[in-house]
Amino acid sequence: MPASGAPFIFSPLRLTLTRLANESNFKFMPASPVVIVRLKGILSSGSSLDGARLRRGFEAGLKALLGTDRPGEAVGALFSSSDRVGLKINAIGGRSLATPPEVSLALAGLLADNGLSEKNIIIWDRTNRELREAGYRLNLADRGPRIFGTDSAGVGYDPDIVSHLNIGSRFSAIQSRLTGASISLAVLKDHGTAGLTAGMKNYYGAIHNPNKYHDTNCDPYVAELFDAPPIKAKHRLSILDALVVQYHRGPSFHKRWAEPYETLLFSRDPVAADFIGWTIIEKLRAAKGLPNLKEDGREPAYLFTAEKMGLGAARKDSIRIIEVEA
Amino acid sequence: MKRRDFFKKAGAAGLTLGTGTGAALVHLYAFAETANLSKVEARYYKKLPDNEIECQLCPRACRLGDKERGYCGVRENQDGTYYTLVYGKPCSVHVDPIEKKPFFHVLPGTAALSIATAGCNVNCKFCQNWEISQVRAEQVAAMDLPPEKVAALADANNCPSIAYTYTEPVVFFEYMYDTALAGRKLGRRNIVVTGGHINPAPLAELLKVVDAVKVDLKSFSPDFYKSYVRGELQPVLETIKAVAKSGCWLELVYLVIPTLNDRPEEIRKMSRWVAAEVGPDVPLHFSRFSPMYLIKNLPPTPLSTLEEARQAALGEGIHYVYIGNAPSLNAENTICPKCRNTIIERYAYSVRVRALDKGRCTICRTPIPGIWA
Repeated sequence: MPASGAPFIFSPLRLTLTRLANESNFKFMPASPVVIVRLKGILSSGSSLDGARLRRGFEAGLKALLGTDRPGEAVGALFSSSDRVGLKINAIGGRSLATPPEVSLALAGLLADNGLSEKNIIIWDRTNRELREAGYRLNLADRGPRIFGTDSAGVGYDPDIVSHLNIGSRFSAIQSRLTGASISLAVLKDHGTAGLTAGMKNYYGAIHNPNKYHDTNCDPYVAELFDAPPIKAKHRLSILDALVVQYHRGPSFHKRWAEPYETLLFSRDPVAADFIGWTIIEKLRAAKGLPNLKEDGREPAYLFTAEKMGLGAARKDSIRIIEVEA
Repeated sequence: MKRRDFFKKAGAAGLTLGTGTGAALVHLYAFAETANLSKVEARYYKKLPDNEIECQLCPRACRLGDKERGYCGVRENQDGTYYTLVYGKPCSVHVDPIEKKPFFHVLPGTAALSIATAGCNVNCKFCQNWEISQVRAEQVAAMDLPPEKVAALADANNCPSIAYTYTEPVVFFEYMYDTALAGRKLGRRNIVVTGGHINPAPLAELLKVVDAVKVDLKSFSPDFYKSYVRGELQPVLETIKAVAKSGCWLELVYLVIPTLNDRPEEIRKMSRWVAAEVGPDVPLHFSRFSPMYLIKNLPPTPLSTLEEARQAALGEGIHYVYIGNAPSLNAENTICPKCRNTIIERYAYSVRVRALDKGRCTICRTPIPGIWA
């Protein structure tokens, strides 16, 4: 007799799509510099961000990162023209602290003008509600990048669970099947549990059960989730939106501890990008007289775990930094 | 939005997305809002500065910023107020034999109206209901079923009891509590199937309105709880003691998993603790493991292991020891501890009360503890 019976389950609509594991593309994360693009004054240009200026920022960042003067060459070094690319944004913070639509659309426009098909670019996060609340206009039309959440009808999470180290999760069909390459376009924030939320933890929004991975400062879960095939095999680039940095009491927006920082960070090394993001958080905390994250019991040790797992660099002396004004 | 409307929109838009391989296409019907969530303030939490909260329902004590969700996945901080998202929103509603819970000393042979919402405050790697327990509130198709309707359904389906089961009812505490009150108004008993991760204060409140509690004691090892349950042993033991002390009927289940929690010393130690702390009359069910969820690399529990566990518990003085998920072992009958006659005969969900009258063995008149009427 079962300990508790198998219940009747009202299952959501599930897809039976061809798996796009793309595991043949598996690569270890390459050593990569972190490019810091300063966009001084970008927040002073009015109520909405200057898309053209942002685009110049993305172009400068990608060119510096890939060591080329031609944006098409930079995009081509990251993607093939047939790639379906997911821009995994962070919409949970609402209009005040999510990846702004102007930022995502500027990047999508740059990619589309340099070899990728516009309709092969998907800007996404967990839910349509969060996307709307962050200011996005959902889009499935043939014009413009597609914008929708995992909870869109007919999308959802894969029925099969991926079991990897301490991770056991269903992945968003957008991450696992509808895209073959991924950019983590995350907001740089302090996090009450993890210490830091940035490019790697952004992928918590790609699984059905992120609430299960916040124990022990999210260590080793952030690293192990990133290491799972649906992410590691597809991740091509981390971009941290540090236009406004929530350096305390994150991940929610608190104006008192939100610093206009007017910066974007780029790296192909997901650990290095986040590590440099962490140094920015610490710098801002120190300037305001706040304890550092270690003293606060929230050191993002998952970055050191990620380094041990070979996912990238979590030591300042091993990370080359390139600074650019745009 | 109804499903039919999705198709209408799909037809109008004619939208498709390739998978990247070109092998399959998926139609995206609409940006439907499919989540069916409640917004009822939670009862056990503390407001903190800067819109943060600390949940006080279970030992996890999740501390959450605005817009964050607890470990359970069904309680959310919204602007500094903590809400349950599953009040009146069950994802599973069934009429089950009460033996399926299992309760063997509560109204044998009757049906229990059994409900669950999404969510759980632990993450057992061997969970058999993970598709509803290990998901967030919006990831199941939930019904609208307020407490009074649950009670009325129990009445209409001739269920003397309402069971809060399948997932972890602690995470839908408010709904369970109010349903229990509504059930009592209609003369229904309330029975709870739980992992036992709940704080003393909400547990004390709950025990005032329920009649029986079955606790899944998943191991007697703190390390097992840490590694395979993502919880802690000690709060579960405290819950078991509190239930026994309250006068609510208590039964225990121990799922025996090969190599992980099946050592005879552990079984004996656990049985000694049960006999000493809550008494030898608390029924103890050893249940057979089947591979699922995140543990698929172990075989089903050998029948011999289950029989050894039962003998170990009997040897430690437990009076009523059963084996579940293994009907061939014929270890589901209730035997009078004094005269050894069979009082209640069971095979799977077939039940025949043979020698029980007003809570006593009809042969030797020994009291048999339980809720019999």
